[in-house]
Amino acid sequence: MAARSRVATLRDQYAELLRSAFLVDLQYRASIAIWLVWGITEPIISFAIWWSIAAGGAVDGYTRDGFARYFFGVALVNQATLSWDAWNIDRWIREGEMNHRLTRPIAPIHEAIADNIAYKGPTAAIILAVWVVASIFWPAVRIPFEPGRWALGIVAIGLAAAIRFFNGYATGLLAFWTTRATALVELQFGISLFLSGRIAPLSLLPPRVVHVAQYLWFPYVLSFPVEILTGAVTTWQQYARGYAGQLVWLAIWLLLYLLVWTRGRRHYGAVGG
Amino acid sequence: MKRIRRTMVVLLAFWKLNWLEELQYRGNFVASLLSTVFWLAMAMLTVALYFGHTTQLGGWGYWDVVVLLGVFNALTGVVETVLRPGIGHLPTDVRSGALDLVLVRPVDAQFYVSFRRLDVWRLADVVLGLGLSAYALAQTGRSVGVWQIVSFIVTFAVAIAVVYSIWVTLMSFAFWFVAVENMATLFDAVIDAARYPVSAYPGALRFVFVYLIPIAWTTTIPASALTGRLDPSLAMWAVVVGVAALGASRLLWRVALKRYTSAGG
Repeated sequence: MAARSRVATLRDQYAELLRSAFLVDLQYRASIAIWLVWGITEPIISFAIWWSIAAGGAVDGYTRDGFARYFFGVALVNQATLSWDAWNIDRWIREGEMNHRLTRPIAPIHEAIADNIAYKGPTAAIILAVWVVASIFWPAVRIPFEPGRWALGIVAIGLAAAIRFFNGYATGLLAFWTTRATALVELQFGISLFLSGRIAPLSLLPPRVVHVAQYLWFPYVLSFPVEILTGAVTTWQQYARGYAGQLVWLAIWLLLYLLVWTRGRRHYGAVGG
Repeated sequence: MKRIRRTMVVLLAFWKLNWLEELQYRGNFVASLLSTVFWLAMAMLTVALYFGHTTQLGGWGYWDVVVLLGVFNALTGVVETVLRPGIGHLPTDVRSGALDLVLVRPVDAQFYVSFRRLDVWRLADVVLGLGLSAYALAQTGRSVGVWQIVSFIVTFAVAIAVVYSIWVTLMSFAFWFVAVENMATLFDAVIDAARYPVSAYPGALRFVFVYLIPIAWTTTIPASALTGRLDPSLAMWAVVVGVAALGASRLLWRVALKRYTSAGG
Protein backbone atom coordinates (compact mmCIF):
# COMPACT_ATOMS: atom_id res chain seq x y z
CA MET A 1 0.00 0.00 0.00
CA ALA A 2 1.35 3.37 -0.93
CA ALA A 3 2.15 5.68 1.93
CA ARG A 4 -0.32 8.47 2.35
CA SER A 5 1.02 11.72 1.12
CA ARG A 6 1.88 14.29 3.76
CA VAL A 7 -0.57 16.71 2.22
CA ALA A 8 -3.46 14.25 2.58
CA THR A 9 -2.55 13.58 6.20
CA LEU A 10 -2.32 17.26 6.97
CA ARG A 11 -5.68 17.84 5.28
CA ASP A 12 -7.36 15.18 7.41
CA GLN A 13 -5.72 16.54 10.54
CA TYR A 14 -6.96 20.03 9.73
CA ALA A 15 -10.49 18.78 9.07
CA GLU A 16 -10.49 17.21 12.52
CA LEU A 17 -8.88 20.22 14.26
CA LEU A 18 -11.35 22.59 12.61
CA ARG A 19 -14.33 20.41 13.50
CA SER A 20 -13.31 20.26 17.15
CA ALA A 21 -12.53 24.00 17.26
CA PHE A 22 -15.98 24.78 15.82
CA LEU A 23 -17.67 22.56 18.38
CA VAL A 24 -15.76 24.13 21.27
CA ASP A 25 -16.70 27.62 20.02
CA LEU A 26 -20.32 26.56 19.72
CA GLN A 27 -20.23 25.44 23.33
CA TYR A 28 -18.81 28.79 24.41
CA ARG A 29 -20.97 30.95 22.13
CA ALA A 30 -22.00 33.30 24.95
CA SER A 31 -18.37 34.02 25.84
CA ILE A 32 -17.62 34.56 22.16
CA ALA A 33 -20.48 37.04 21.87
CA ILE A 34 -18.91 38.99 24.75
CA TRP A 35 -15.47 39.01 23.09
CA LEU A 36 -17.17 40.25 19.94
CA VAL A 37 -18.78 43.16 21.82
CA TRP A 38 -15.41 43.96 23.38
CA GLY A 39 -13.76 43.94 19.97
CA ILE A 40 -16.11 46.44 18.39
CA THR A 41 -16.28 48.98 21.23
CA GLU A 42 -12.90 50.50 20.39
CA PRO A 43 -13.84 51.38 16.77
CA ILE A 44 -17.28 52.56 17.95
CA ILE A 45 -15.75 54.93 20.52
CA SER A 46 -13.16 56.27 18.06
CA PHE A 47 -15.91 56.74 15.47
CA ALA A 48 -18.14 58.57 17.97
CA ILE A 49 -15.34 61.01 18.86
CA TRP A 50 -14.41 61.69 15.21
CA TRP A 51 -18.13 62.09 14.43
CA SER A 52 -18.27 64.82 17.05
CA ILE A 53 -15.06 66.47 15.77
CA ALA A 54 -16.31 66.37 12.15
CA ALA A 55 -19.50 68.24 13.14
CA GLY A 56 -18.04 71.44 11.73
CA GLY A 57 -17.03 69.87 8.39
CA ALA A 58 -14.56 67.42 6.90
CA VAL A 59 -11.36 66.64 8.84
CA ASP A 60 -8.49 66.40 6.35
CA GLY A 61 -10.83 64.98 3.73
CA TYR A 62 -12.75 62.70 6.10
CA THR A 63 -16.42 63.62 6.45
CA ARG A 64 -18.70 62.05 9.06
CA ASP A 65 -19.75 59.52 6.43
CA GLY A 66 -16.13 58.84 5.55
CA PHE A 67 -15.35 58.09 9.19
CA ALA A 68 -18.39 55.78 9.36
CA ARG A 69 -17.10 53.71 6.42
CA TYR A 70 -13.56 53.70 7.76
CA PHE A 71 -14.50 52.42 11.21
CA PHE A 72 -16.89 49.80 9.85
CA GLY A 73 -13.87 48.61 7.89
CA VAL A 74 -11.67 48.70 11.02
CA ALA A 75 -14.21 46.65 13.00
CA LEU A 76 -14.42 44.02 10.25
CA VAL A 77 -10.71 43.74 9.46
CA ASN A 78 -9.73 43.81 13.13
CA GLN A 79 -12.11 40.97 13.93
CA ALA A 80 -10.75 38.94 11.02
CA THR A 81 -7.11 39.51 12.00
CA LEU A 82 -7.15 39.51 15.83
CA SER A 83 -4.37 37.69 17.62
CA TRP A 84 -4.72 36.26 21.10
CA ASP A 85 -2.46 33.22 20.95
CA ALA A 86 0.30 34.81 23.03
CA TRP A 87 -1.94 34.63 26.11
CA ASN A 88 -2.70 30.95 25.49
CA ILE A 89 0.96 30.11 25.03
CA ASP A 90 1.84 32.03 28.16
CA ARG A 91 -0.68 30.00 30.15
CA TRP A 92 0.31 26.69 28.54
CA ILE A 93 3.97 27.19 29.41
CA ARG A 94 3.28 28.48 32.92
CA GLU A 95 0.80 25.77 33.85
CA GLY A 96 2.45 22.88 32.04
CA GLU A 97 -0.28 22.48 29.42
CA MET A 98 2.43 22.79 26.79
CA ASN A 99 3.80 19.38 27.73
CA HIS A 100 1.06 17.21 26.26
CA ARG A 101 0.92 19.45 23.20
CA LEU A 102 4.60 18.76 22.56
CA THR A 103 4.01 15.02 22.56
CA ARG A 104 1.50 15.19 19.71
CA PRO A 105 2.58 14.23 16.19
CA ILE A 106 1.50 17.67 14.97
CA ALA A 107 3.02 21.01 16.02
CA PRO A 108 0.80 23.09 18.37
CA ILE A 109 0.70 25.92 15.84
CA HIS A 110 -1.69 23.90 13.64
CA GLU A 111 -4.17 23.69 16.48
CA ALA A 112 -3.86 27.46 16.90
CA ILE A 113 -4.40 28.06 13.17
CA ALA A 114 -7.54 25.92 13.22
CA ASP A 115 -8.81 27.76 16.32
CA ASN A 116 -8.20 31.08 14.60
CA ILE A 117 -10.11 30.07 11.47
CA ALA A 118 -13.00 28.58 13.45
CA TYR A 119 -13.33 31.73 15.55
CA LYS A 120 -12.66 34.49 13.06
CA GLY A 121 -14.72 33.11 10.18
CA PRO A 122 -18.12 33.19 11.91
CA THR A 123 -17.50 36.31 14.02
CA ALA A 124 -16.18 38.35 11.08
CA ALA A 125 -19.18 37.15 9.08
CA ILE A 126 -21.46 38.57 11.78
CA ILE A 127 -19.80 41.99 11.52
CA LEU A 128 -20.01 41.80 7.73
CA ALA A 129 -23.73 40.97 7.98
CA VAL A 130 -24.27 43.95 10.30
CA TRP A 131 -22.42 46.15 7.79
CA VAL A 132 -24.59 44.90 4.91
CA VAL A 133 -27.83 45.44 6.86
CA ALA A 134 -26.63 48.85 8.08
CA SER A 135 -25.88 49.95 4.51
CA ILE A 136 -29.48 49.24 3.49
CA PHE A 137 -30.77 51.80 5.99
CA TRP A 138 -27.76 54.12 6.13
CA PRO A 139 -26.48 54.97 2.64
CA ALA A 140 -23.41 56.68 4.10
CA VAL A 141 -21.75 53.39 5.04
CA ARG A 142 -22.22 51.85 1.58
CA ILE A 143 -18.96 51.14 -0.17
CA PRO A 144 -18.78 51.24 -3.97
CA PHE A 145 -19.82 48.03 -5.75
CA GLU A 146 -16.49 46.89 -7.18
CA PRO A 147 -16.06 43.10 -6.92
CA GLY A 148 -12.47 43.31 -8.16
CA ARG A 149 -11.56 45.69 -5.32
CA TRP A 150 -13.35 43.48 -2.79
CA ALA A 151 -11.39 40.46 -3.97
CA LEU A 152 -8.13 42.40 -3.57
CA GLY A 153 -9.34 43.44 -0.12
CA ILE A 154 -10.02 39.84 0.90
CA VAL A 155 -6.51 38.81 -0.16
CA ALA A 156 -5.08 41.68 1.89
CA ILE A 157 -7.18 40.68 4.91
CA GLY A 158 -5.89 37.10 4.64
CA LEU A 159 -2.28 38.26 4.50
CA ALA A 160 -2.89 40.67 7.39
CA ALA A 161 -4.37 37.87 9.50
CA ALA A 162 -1.32 35.70 8.75
CA ILE A 163 1.14 38.46 9.72
CA ARG A 164 -0.66 39.23 12.97
CA PHE A 165 -0.93 35.54 13.75
CA PHE A 166 2.77 34.77 13.34
CA ASN A 167 3.69 38.04 15.03
CA GLY A 168 1.55 37.21 18.08
CA TYR A 169 2.57 33.57 18.12
CA ALA A 170 6.31 34.24 17.85
CA THR A 171 6.17 36.95 20.52
CA GLY A 172 4.11 34.65 22.73
CA LEU A 173 6.71 31.89 22.40
CA LEU A 174 9.21 34.15 24.12
CA ALA A 175 7.41 32.83 27.21
CA PHE A 176 9.88 29.94 26.94
CA TRP A 177 12.45 32.39 28.30
CA THR A 178 10.53 35.12 30.14
CA THR A 179 7.34 35.44 32.17
CA ARG A 180 6.62 38.81 30.59
CA ALA A 181 6.13 37.83 26.95
CA THR A 182 2.54 39.10 26.98
CA ALA A 183 3.84 42.53 28.03
CA LEU A 184 5.67 42.67 24.68
CA VAL A 185 2.40 41.86 22.92
CA GLU A 186 0.69 44.65 24.84
CA LEU A 187 3.46 47.05 23.88
CA GLN A 188 2.86 46.30 20.20
CA PHE A 189 -0.88 46.57 20.79
CA GLY A 190 -0.43 50.08 22.19
CA ILE A 191 1.76 51.18 19.29
CA SER A 192 -0.71 49.70 16.80
CA LEU A 193 -3.40 52.07 18.09
CA PHE A 194 -1.68 54.72 16.01
CA LEU A 195 0.55 53.01 13.47
CA SER A 196 -2.09 50.47 12.35
CA GLY A 197 -4.76 53.12 12.02
CA ARG A 198 -6.95 51.75 14.78
CA ILE A 199 -8.00 55.07 16.28
CA ALA A 200 -7.68 57.23 13.17
CA PRO A 201 -6.96 56.87 9.45
CA LEU A 202 -3.19 57.11 8.96
CA SER A 203 -3.57 60.27 6.88
CA LEU A 204 -4.69 62.13 10.03
CA LEU A 205 -1.43 61.31 11.82
CA PRO A 206 1.62 63.58 11.68
CA PRO A 207 3.46 62.83 8.37
CA ARG A 208 6.69 61.91 10.15
CA VAL A 209 4.90 59.22 12.17
CA VAL A 210 3.38 57.79 8.99
CA HIS A 211 6.81 57.82 7.37
CA VAL A 212 8.25 55.69 10.19
CA ALA A 213 5.19 53.43 10.23
CA GLN A 214 5.59 52.30 6.63
CA TYR A 215 8.87 50.59 7.50
CA LEU A 216 7.14 48.51 10.20
CA TRP A 217 4.42 45.86 9.89
CA PHE A 218 1.72 47.90 11.62
CA PRO A 219 0.06 49.64 8.64
CA TYR A 220 -0.08 46.42 6.60
CA VAL A 221 -2.08 44.47 9.18
CA LEU A 222 -5.06 46.84 9.39
CA SER A 223 -4.84 50.18 7.65
CA PHE A 224 -3.98 48.78 4.20
CA PRO A 225 -6.88 46.25 3.93
CA VAL A 226 -9.33 48.78 5.40
CA GLU A 227 -8.30 51.45 2.91
CA ILE A 228 -8.71 49.02 0.03
CA LEU A 229 -12.30 48.42 1.14
CA THR A 230 -13.12 52.10 1.68
CA GLY A 231 -11.56 53.08 -1.64
CA ALA A 232 -8.67 55.15 -0.27
CA VAL A 233 -6.18 52.88 -2.06
CA THR A 234 -6.47 53.74 -5.76
CA THR A 235 -3.23 53.68 -7.75
CA TRP A 236 -1.43 50.47 -8.66
CA GLN A 237 1.66 51.83 -6.89
CA GLN A 238 -0.28 51.97 -3.63
CA TYR A 239 -1.47 48.40 -4.13
CA ALA A 240 2.03 47.22 -5.02
CA ARG A 241 3.61 48.90 -2.01
CA GLY A 242 0.92 47.51 0.30
CA TYR A 243 1.13 43.92 -0.90
CA ALA A 244 4.94 44.05 -0.98
CA GLY A 245 4.96 45.27 2.62
CA GLN A 246 2.59 42.49 3.59
CA LEU A 247 4.66 39.77 1.93
CA VAL A 248 7.95 41.00 3.37
CA TRP A 249 6.57 41.18 6.90
CA LEU A 250 4.81 37.84 6.59
CA ALA A 251 8.14 36.27 5.61
CA ILE A 252 9.94 37.98 8.50
CA TRP A 253 7.44 36.94 11.16
CA LEU A 254 7.18 33.42 9.76
CA LEU A 255 10.98 33.07 9.97
CA LEU A 256 11.03 34.55 13.45
CA TYR A 257 8.36 32.06 14.50
CA LEU A 258 10.42 29.14 13.16
CA LEU A 259 13.52 30.45 14.90
CA VAL A 260 11.85 31.00 18.27
CA TRP A 261 9.97 27.71 18.06
CA THR A 262 13.02 25.51 17.36
CA ARG A 263 15.20 27.30 19.90
CA GLY A 264 12.50 27.65 22.51
CA ARG A 265 11.50 24.00 22.39
CA ARG A 266 15.08 22.99 23.12
CA HIS A 267 15.35 25.53 25.91
CA TYR A 268 12.07 24.31 27.40
CA GLY A 269 13.23 20.70 27.27
CA ALA A 270 16.27 21.72 29.28
CA VAL A 271 14.29 23.20 32.15
CA GLY A 272 10.87 21.54 31.99
CA GLY A 273 10.13 18.83 34.52
CA MET B 1 -23.40 45.74 63.89
CA LYS B 2 -21.67 42.77 65.43
CA ARG B 3 -21.72 41.08 62.03
CA ILE B 4 -19.98 44.03 60.42
CA ARG B 5 -17.27 44.04 63.09
CA ARG B 6 -16.74 40.35 62.65
CA THR B 7 -16.49 40.76 58.87
CA MET B 8 -13.90 43.50 59.33
CA VAL B 9 -11.79 41.32 61.62
CA VAL B 10 -11.81 38.52 59.05
CA LEU B 11 -11.01 40.89 56.20
CA LEU B 12 -8.14 42.53 58.08
CA ALA B 13 -6.61 39.12 58.67
CA PHE B 14 -6.94 38.32 54.97
CA TRP B 15 -5.45 41.64 53.90
CA LYS B 16 -2.46 41.08 56.16
CA LEU B 17 -1.75 37.68 54.63
CA ASN B 18 -2.38 39.15 51.23
CA TRP B 19 0.14 41.95 51.86
CA LEU B 20 2.81 39.52 53.01
CA GLU B 21 2.24 37.49 49.86
CA GLU B 22 2.45 40.54 47.60
CA LEU B 23 5.73 41.60 49.21
CA GLN B 24 7.29 38.52 47.63
CA TYR B 25 6.40 39.77 44.19
CA ARG B 26 7.89 43.24 44.24
CA GLY B 27 8.95 42.81 40.63
CA ASN B 28 5.26 42.98 39.78
CA PHE B 29 5.15 46.48 41.18
CA VAL B 30 7.71 47.77 38.69
CA ALA B 31 6.03 45.91 35.84
CA SER B 32 2.57 47.23 36.63
CA LEU B 33 3.95 50.75 37.08
CA LEU B 34 5.65 50.64 33.68
CA SER B 35 2.51 49.29 32.09
CA THR B 36 0.36 52.04 33.61
CA VAL B 37 2.78 54.78 32.53
CA PHE B 38 2.84 53.33 29.00
CA TRP B 39 -0.95 53.19 28.69
CA LEU B 40 -1.30 56.69 30.15
CA ALA B 41 1.13 57.91 27.50
CA MET B 42 -0.89 56.17 24.75
CA ALA B 43 -4.11 57.71 26.10
CA MET B 44 -2.56 61.19 26.16
CA LEU B 45 -1.24 60.75 22.62
CA THR B 46 -4.74 59.73 21.53
CA VAL B 47 -6.19 62.88 23.06
CA ALA B 48 -3.39 64.90 21.47
CA LEU B 49 -4.26 63.37 18.09
CA TYR B 50 -7.90 64.38 18.46
CA PHE B 51 -6.89 67.89 19.51
CA GLY B 52 -4.67 68.16 16.47
CA HIS B 53 -7.92 68.38 14.53
CA THR B 54 -10.20 70.25 16.94
CA THR B 55 -10.05 72.75 19.78
CA GLN B 56 -12.66 71.12 22.02
CA LEU B 57 -14.37 67.80 22.69
CA GLY B 58 -17.97 68.24 23.81
CA GLY B 59 -17.07 71.64 25.23
CA TRP B 60 -13.93 70.40 27.03
CA GLY B 61 -10.48 71.77 26.23
CA TYR B 62 -7.31 69.66 25.96
CA TRP B 63 -6.21 69.94 29.58
CA ASP B 64 -9.78 69.46 30.80
CA VAL B 65 -9.89 66.12 28.96
CA VAL B 66 -6.52 65.21 30.51
CA VAL B 67 -7.98 65.96 33.96
CA LEU B 68 -10.73 63.48 33.09
CA LEU B 69 -8.16 60.97 31.88
CA GLY B 70 -6.46 61.17 35.28
CA VAL B 71 -9.77 60.51 37.01
CA PHE B 72 -10.32 57.55 34.65
CA ASN B 73 -6.92 56.11 35.55
CA ALA B 74 -7.52 56.56 39.27
CA LEU B 75 -10.88 54.83 38.97
CA THR B 76 -9.53 51.88 36.98
CA GLY B 77 -6.81 51.70 39.65
CA VAL B 78 -9.54 51.09 42.23
CA VAL B 79 -11.07 48.46 39.95
CA GLU B 80 -7.75 46.64 39.51
CA THR B 81 -6.84 46.87 43.20
CA VAL B 82 -10.12 45.73 44.71
CA LEU B 83 -12.85 44.68 42.28
CA ARG B 84 -11.17 42.47 39.70
CA PRO B 85 -9.26 40.32 42.22
CA GLY B 86 -12.29 40.25 44.56
CA ILE B 87 -15.74 40.12 43.06
CA GLY B 88 -14.25 39.53 39.62
CA HIS B 89 -13.33 36.08 40.85
CA LEU B 90 -16.95 35.21 41.65
CA PRO B 91 -17.84 33.37 38.40
CA THR B 92 -14.92 30.98 38.98
CA ASP B 93 -16.09 30.39 42.57
CA VAL B 94 -19.63 29.70 41.40
CA ARG B 95 -18.44 27.28 38.74
CA SER B 96 -16.07 25.39 41.02
CA GLY B 97 -18.28 25.45 44.08
CA ALA B 98 -15.64 27.34 46.09
CA LEU B 99 -18.39 29.78 47.07
CA ASP B 100 -19.48 27.17 49.63
CA LEU B 101 -16.45 28.07 51.70
CA VAL B 102 -17.55 31.71 51.72
CA LEU B 103 -21.17 31.02 52.58
CA VAL B 104 -20.37 28.95 55.65
CA ARG B 105 -18.34 31.80 57.12
CA PRO B 106 -20.16 34.00 59.65
CA VAL B 107 -19.70 37.10 57.51
CA ASP B 108 -21.74 39.02 54.94
CA ALA B 109 -21.09 37.09 51.73
CA GLN B 110 -21.27 40.06 49.34
CA PHE B 111 -19.00 42.18 51.52
CA TYR B 112 -16.52 39.39 51.95
CA VAL B 113 -16.46 38.36 48.28
CA SER B 114 -16.02 41.99 47.23
CA PHE B 115 -13.13 42.93 49.46
CA ARG B 116 -11.35 39.67 50.16
CA ARG B 117 -8.23 40.43 48.13
CA LEU B 118 -6.25 43.53 47.28
CA ASP B 119 -3.76 43.86 44.45
CA VAL B 120 -2.00 46.55 46.41
CA TRP B 121 0.56 47.39 43.72
CA ARG B 122 -2.21 48.70 41.49
CA LEU B 123 -2.90 51.44 44.04
CA ALA B 124 -0.06 53.18 42.20
CA ASP B 125 -2.54 53.69 39.34
CA VAL B 126 -4.76 55.71 41.66
CA VAL B 127 -1.83 57.89 42.73
CA LEU B 128 -0.62 58.36 39.14
CA GLY B 129 -4.12 59.19 37.95
CA LEU B 130 -4.78 61.78 40.62
CA GLY B 131 -1.30 63.19 40.03
CA LEU B 132 -2.04 63.59 36.34
CA SER B 133 -5.35 65.29 37.14
CA ALA B 134 -3.61 67.72 39.50
CA TYR B 135 -0.94 68.52 36.89
CA ALA B 136 -3.50 69.02 34.12
CA LEU B 137 -5.60 71.16 36.42
CA ALA B 138 -2.60 73.39 37.05
CA GLN B 139 -2.12 73.69 33.26
CA THR B 140 -5.67 74.93 32.80
CA GLY B 141 -4.84 77.82 35.13
CA ARG B 142 -8.12 77.38 36.98
CA SER B 143 -8.15 78.10 40.70
CA VAL B 144 -9.27 75.14 42.75
CA GLY B 145 -11.43 76.08 45.72
CA VAL B 146 -12.84 74.17 48.64
CA TRP B 147 -16.08 73.47 46.76
CA GLN B 148 -14.18 71.82 43.91
CA ILE B 149 -12.25 69.56 46.27
CA VAL B 150 -15.26 68.62 48.38
CA SER B 151 -17.53 67.98 45.39
CA PHE B 152 -14.75 65.95 43.74
CA ILE B 153 -14.34 63.73 46.80
CA VAL B 154 -18.10 63.18 46.99
CA THR B 155 -18.58 62.51 43.26
CA PHE B 156 -15.48 60.27 43.09
CA ALA B 157 -16.99 58.20 45.91
CA VAL B 158 -20.19 58.05 43.85
CA ALA B 159 -18.12 56.93 40.85
CA ILE B 160 -16.63 54.07 42.88
CA ALA B 161 -20.13 53.11 44.05
CA VAL B 162 -21.45 53.07 40.46
CA VAL B 163 -18.50 51.05 39.15
CA TYR B 164 -18.83 48.64 42.06
CA SER B 165 -22.55 48.25 41.32
CA ILE B 166 -21.82 47.50 37.67
CA TRP B 167 -19.41 44.76 38.77
CA VAL B 168 -21.87 43.28 41.26
CA THR B 169 -24.55 43.28 38.57
CA LEU B 170 -22.36 41.65 35.92
CA MET B 171 -20.90 39.11 38.32
CA SER B 172 -24.35 38.20 39.69
CA PHE B 173 -25.23 37.00 36.20
CA ALA B 174 -22.71 34.22 36.85
CA PHE B 175 -25.39 32.50 38.92
CA TRP B 176 -27.55 32.22 35.80
CA PHE B 177 -24.90 31.79 33.11
CA VAL B 178 -22.41 29.50 34.76
CA ALA B 179 -20.58 28.76 31.50
CA VAL B 180 -19.78 32.39 30.71
CA GLU B 181 -16.21 32.90 31.86
CA ASN B 182 -15.49 36.36 30.58
CA MET B 183 -18.30 38.47 32.03
CA ALA B 184 -15.68 40.97 33.27
CA THR B 185 -14.81 41.66 29.63
CA LEU B 186 -18.17 43.39 29.25
CA PHE B 187 -17.04 45.85 31.90
CA ASP B 188 -13.74 46.44 30.10
CA ALA B 189 -15.66 47.09 26.88
CA VAL B 190 -18.08 49.55 28.43
CA ILE B 191 -15.71 51.48 30.69
CA ASP B 192 -13.47 52.43 27.75
CA ALA B 193 -16.18 54.87 26.73
CA ALA B 194 -15.59 56.73 30.01
CA ARG B 195 -12.22 58.02 28.77
CA TYR B 196 -13.93 61.03 27.22
CA PRO B 197 -16.51 63.49 28.51
CA VAL B 198 -19.99 62.17 27.87
CA SER B 199 -20.87 65.42 26.06
CA ALA B 200 -18.48 64.39 23.26
CA TYR B 201 -20.79 61.54 22.23
CA PRO B 202 -23.79 61.72 19.89
CA GLY B 203 -27.19 62.12 21.59
CA ALA B 204 -28.26 58.46 21.55
CA LEU B 205 -25.00 57.23 23.12
CA ARG B 206 -25.15 60.04 25.67
CA PHE B 207 -28.60 58.85 26.74
CA VAL B 208 -27.29 55.30 27.14
CA PHE B 209 -24.29 56.44 29.21
CA VAL B 210 -26.36 58.63 31.54
CA TYR B 211 -29.37 56.41 32.13
CA LEU B 212 -28.84 52.81 31.00
CA ILE B 213 -25.15 52.02 31.52
CA PRO B 214 -24.43 54.87 33.94
CA ILE B 215 -20.76 55.45 33.11
CA ALA B 216 -21.36 59.20 32.68
CA TRP B 217 -21.37 59.34 36.48
CA THR B 218 -17.99 57.62 36.77
CA THR B 219 -15.56 60.05 35.15
CA THR B 220 -17.39 62.98 33.57
CA ILE B 221 -19.00 64.10 36.83
CA PRO B 222 -15.91 63.97 39.11
CA ALA B 223 -13.82 65.62 36.38
CA SER B 224 -16.53 68.28 36.04
CA ALA B 225 -16.23 68.87 39.76
CA LEU B 226 -12.46 69.44 39.45
CA THR B 227 -12.74 71.73 36.42
CA GLY B 228 -15.45 73.80 38.08
CA ARG B 229 -18.25 72.97 35.66
CA LEU B 230 -20.37 70.95 38.10
CA ASP B 231 -23.79 72.28 38.97
CA PRO B 232 -24.54 71.75 42.73
CA SER B 233 -27.88 70.15 41.84
CA LEU B 234 -26.06 67.66 39.61
CA ALA B 235 -23.80 66.77 42.54
CA MET B 236 -26.92 65.99 44.56
CA TRP B 237 -28.24 63.83 41.73
CA ALA B 238 -24.92 62.01 41.61
CA VAL B 239 -25.32 61.04 45.25
CA VAL B 240 -28.85 59.78 44.51
CA VAL B 241 -27.55 57.76 41.55
CA GLY B 242 -24.74 56.25 43.65
CA VAL B 243 -27.07 55.18 46.46
CA ALA B 244 -29.68 53.85 44.00
CA ALA B 245 -27.03 51.85 42.12
CA LEU B 246 -25.71 50.30 45.34
CA GLY B 247 -29.25 49.43 46.46
CA ALA B 248 -30.26 47.91 43.13
CA SER B 249 -27.12 45.81 42.87
CA ARG B 250 -27.53 44.59 46.45
CA LEU B 251 -31.08 43.50 45.59
CA LEU B 252 -29.88 41.68 42.47
CA TRP B 253 -27.14 39.97 44.48
CA ARG B 254 -29.69 38.59 46.96
CA VAL B 255 -31.95 37.29 44.19
CA ALA B 256 -28.96 35.79 42.41
CA LEU B 257 -27.51 34.13 45.51
CA LYS B 258 -30.79 32.25 46.03
CA ARG B 259 -30.09 30.45 42.75
CA TYR B 260 -26.79 29.09 44.01
CA THR B 261 -27.03 25.37 44.55
CA SER B 262 -23.31 24.64 44.88
CA ALA B 263 -21.35 22.74 42.29
CA GLY B 264 -20.34 20.23 44.92
CA GLY B 265 -17.22 18.19 44.77
